[in-house]
Amino acid sequence: MEKARISSLQLFMLMTGFLFGSTLIINPIINAKNDGWLAIIIGGIGGTLLLWVYATIALLNPSKNFVEILRSRLGKVLGNLLALLYVWYFTHLASLVFRNFGSFITTTTYLYTPLEVIITIFAIVIVYAVNSGIEVVGRVSELLVPVIPVIAVLISISLVTIHDFTAFLPVLENGIQPVIKAAYAFLTFPFGETISFLMIFPHLNKRKNLRRVSALSALSVTGLFLFIFFRDITALGSHFIYQATFVPHITSVLIPGINLEPLLDVNLLIGGGIKIAICLYAASTMLANIIGADDYRKFTTSLLTFCVVLSIWIYENIFEMFNWAEKVWPYYSIPFQIFIPLILLVLSLIKKNKTTLTDSAEQ
Amino acid sequence: MFRKIKRHLRLGKQQINIDTIYTGIDEPLPKNIEKVKKRLDEIFSGCDDFIQRQMVCGEDECIRILVSYIDGLVDKNILNRDIIRPVIDYLSSKQAHDEPKLVYQRIKECVVSSSDFEEIQSMQQAVYKIVSGDAVLFVDGVKDALAVNVKTMQGRQIDEPDTEISIRGPREGFVENLATNMMLIRKRIKSPNLKFEIIQLGVQTKTDVCICYIKGIANEEIVKEVRKRLKKIKTDAILDTGYIEQYITDNRLTLFPIVGNTEKCDKLVAKLLEGRVAILCDGTPYIITVPYIFIESIQTSDDYYDHAFFASFMRLLRSFALIISNLLPAMYVALVSFHHTVIPIKLMITLAASRQGIPFSPFVEAVLMITAFELLREAGVRMPRTIGQALSIVGAIVLGEASVAAGIASNLMVIVVAITAICSFVVPPLIRATMLLRFAFLVAANFLGFLGISFVAVAVFIHLCRLRSFGIPYMAPFSPLTASDIKDSLGVVPIWAMLTRPKILFPENTKDTVGIKRQEVDEISED
Repeated sequence: MEKARISSLQLFMLMTGFLFGSTLIINPIINAKNDGWLAIIIGGIGGTLLLWVYATIALLNPSKNFVEILRSRLGKVLGNLLALLYVWYFTHLASLVFRNFGSFITTTTYLYTPLEVIITIFAIVIVYAVNSGIEVVGRVSELLVPVIPVIAVLISISLVTIHDFTAFLPVLENGIQPVIKAAYAFLTFPFGETISFLMIFPHLNKRKNLRRVSALSALSVTGLFLFIFFRDITALGSHFIYQATFVPHITSVLIPGINLEPLLDVNLLIGGGIKIAICLYAASTMLANIIGADDYRKFTTSLLTFCVVLSIWIYENIFEMFNWAEKVWPYYSIPFQIFIPLILLVLSLIKKNKTTLTDSAEQ
Repeated sequence: MFRKIKRHLRLGKQQINIDTIYTGIDEPLPKNIEKVKKRLDEIFSGCDDFIQRQMVCGEDECIRILVSYIDGLVDKNILNRDIIRPVIDYLSSKQAHDEPKLVYQRIKECVVSSSDFEEIQSMQQAVYKIVSGDAVLFVDGVKDALAVNVKTMQGRQIDEPDTEISIRGPREGFVENLATNMMLIRKRIKSPNLKFEIIQLGVQTKTDVCICYIKGIANEEIVKEVRKRLKKIKTDAILDTGYIEQYITDNRLTLFPIVGNTEKCDKLVAKLLEGRVAILCDGTPYIITVPYIFIESIQTSDDYYDHAFFASFMRLLRSFALIISNLLPAMYVALVSFHHTVIPIKLMITLAASRQGIPFSPFVEAVLMITAFELLREAGVRMPRTIGQALSIVGAIVLGEASVAAGIASNLMVIVVAITAICSFVVPPLIRATMLLRFAFLVAANFLGFLGISFVAVAVFIHLCRLRSFGIPYMAPFSPLTASDIKDSLGVVPIWAMLTRPKILFPENTKDTVGIKRQEVDEISED
């Protein structure tokens, strides 16, 4: 096990980058149309609670990583099995993010560049980061994640002349159902995916900050998304936003006089890169833990190669990608993001109560 | 791949490392002075600068004294004044003893009038003392010998260093002589806490290398680490601190400087006072400081002497110049080859007009022009100064003007390269890293436009965050964020507000820079 230590700030930055990730490309709240802001708020609050749950699991099992938690709470066989499933889940997630990013780039900016080239070069950078250790990934995120809100604000300022503040009216035109659906989609993507941070929580140097940092980062990302949603909807209007393939791209094209598209690419590169790096780190450390290998770096390159291939095979085209993200992902994620963590939480709480009971009985 | 190269390097190093010069002379000094003389002649055979002066005196010529030294290394005047004359006077005087031991005692205690001498017992020590410029005095019948320091202090005068010019502040620079350099540092820090530890490195050269730090300010762990790494060095020769630098760095495969060097006294003293450790080396004016972090590259000593507003502005300007000198050609290539849409229409028209009739792609054009510039720079550096200037002027005008006229490069490209060139000179410690990174960015830009630049930039960031200099993260104080050190990074606060030393160097010792200052602040706050 790596003896790396990351600070609270680094964890915050990592989490923020992770949550920002490729969310803007897929835009899970799009189905709520102009009520998206409501979906973001509901999803954001739900996401904060979910992160709170994950942090609590980590706190109840101090200095244990995810594999060890699974093993100690569910037994060795079942624990290892579930851990293997999670390895698959994180690998899958990483390849989805790769594909999201690659599709975005090849449809907006680089029309003549093959998807494979973009993804492969991206993967080389990622593997360099992950092999440098979680400490380095944390430090890099500390330098790069602050760029994300700066660019978001920059694009908004450039759009200040184009706005229609009535665009998000009327509220709840289609009833509450699409909002709830979108909020749930937003909960599973990106918030639920932070389950991978259970492999990183043990590296935090001040454990008592864990819950606060997680909640703060979830809330600030919710705020950022809210800001970006308002920008997009005031600039584009509710119909356009529903029909656009890549909303932020369309928004950035609207800027008069200059084209800030490359800046947007940079934003997505940072977020997506951190997300993939963490997924890969989680998957390879879990694999190393299951097998009992001492160094996770042995697995990173092979896992990442698998991710790259998977990301190219997985969809025929971008519409399939959107369809999957919208229809399948939220339900496919339920066991991984909600079901298993809740079981773990309950089991950990029972264990804790037992030990406190026996402690008090001994006293 | 790098691991293989590293292993190969390590193997190559193990095969040398035999102490070749002192093998075979590891013996005690013979009592008989004739034997000593014969042995020394044998050892120094073929060394015509080796001189032995024998003095004979007393009844039956029973007192015989031998002085051995190397001509040129010793100051003849001092040698005559402090050793030869007093010894002869003593031997010819009435107080002279007949017993060799007593004679030796007398000479040691009250005849030789030098302040700096040492008793030696073995032939190896004697030879070492002779080659390092001492005069060694042997007395017949005595097992010991006396090494007296009569070194000449010849060398370059102390003057202003050419490489680091400051507008304001002390102009003294270091020289080649180690003792002079130590004096220059001691003169500025009048404290017994300033420590100098001298060790000899290099099997053939036996160069004096000195670790310098301020006890109580420098981190003991780092000092220990420096000692450890210096002792690990196994090599034939140390000719410059550059040799040491390459041996002691944490990461041998990096473009970035992770060991600092300076020629300026005030700069070195400031670094020592911040808690860094300096390594001096005899024979070179360049002194290296560790740990060295990225932000030091954009710091200059003028920043602290000048008003903080201007200094902060200059810091920001320098950071900007660093980014420009790395990225500008790549940005140009990316814009012209990939992102036409980003360029405003009016500029686009000018650009198209200037690129009309140019046979090369923007990438080839950029590589040609940058290579030409690097060639000019290199030629200018190696030339004598007067010719160098002429060369650069001719090169700049002829190449710039003629290449545009001949249709090899566009006007805009010449401007881009010119700005890049100017900016690259703003941050001297990073010139070499920038030179290579510029090409990496160019290739990436030609391959994938802005996305390629971002990929390479992120890779460079990862590399920077990976680097450590003596255990200190290279990108501190930004990552990991060290709030109290931000005061001296991209901006700089006035000197009276700099109350704490860099925390990143020594977390336990951040209390105050100057006790008095902090006390004053406390008093004010109490009032």
